[in-house]
Amino acid sequence: MSTAVDDDLWSAIGDPTRRTMIDLLLAGGSGTATALSERLPVTRQAVSKHLAVLDRVGLVHAAPAGRERHYQVDEAQLARAVAQLSEVGATWDARLRRIKQLAEEIERNRTDNQEEGE
Amino acid sequence: MEHGTIERDIHIEASPEVVFEVVSRPEHIREWWPDDAQLEPVAGAPGELVWRDAETGETTTVAMTVVEVDPPRRFSFRWCFADPNRSGPSLLVTFDLVPADGGTRVRMTEAGFREMGWEVAVLEEHYADHVTGWDHYIPALGAYVDRLVSAS
Repeated sequence: MSTAVDDDLWSAIGDPTRRTMIDLLLAGGSGTATALSERLPVTRQAVSKHLAVLDRVGLVHAAPAGRERHYQVDEAQLARAVAQLSEVGATWDARLRRIKQLAEEIERNRTDNQEEGE
Repeated sequence: MEHGTIERDIHIEASPEVVFEVVSRPEHIREWWPDDAQLEPVAGAPGELVWRDAETGETTTVAMTVVEVDPPRRFSFRWCFADPNRSGPSLLVTFDLVPADGGTRVRMTEAGFREMGWEVAVLEEHYADHVTGWDHYIPALGAYVDRLVSAS
């Protein structure tokens, strides 16, 4: 649809805690819920919930390693989120060109009508 | 430069009065944006933007709320609400019209990405800190920032 925004993806990265988690995962290459919770002011349970949200929209992938799952950022999916932002800009360019066309057309018609009336 | 905002300037060879009508009246809005628009250009009035799938005929309705109506200078509205009842984070679109060279200079800003989604600022910070692994999205990010810079 024309908003060019994937709602689930945007709400997944719209949360500051989840953004920080992506930051940490990118910096460290990968991480577990326990490791992330040690660096965040939230519980391990909360981190797990956030990871589930990120996993659902494909921003992170989990690989089992020992007793815990190791999470990694899906860079292609993150790139997609960023591309959507630039796409929003491009769609506004198109809308504004159309606004210009419409307004100039109306203006010309009004001027023509005035001249005919004189 | 505000990273969470999209800004565009365009010159239109028409009076601010005409441009104001085109950006604020539903019969014009449906010509440049959705397939249908229902709204009253009155501050605080709720409106709807409707898109129709050409193949299936299915419609998607998006809620919006008119914020400011100051003809022929400013028209603004909110849309993309996080909550269906027109609350929570949203995007604020503002059209500022200024008479210029016998026509109108239009500045469109769409703000709220900082609250809604991933910040370009954060991405840039990342880029500086961890260049490796970011090759994927730098082209997209670069194009976006270029446009922001050229528009400001």
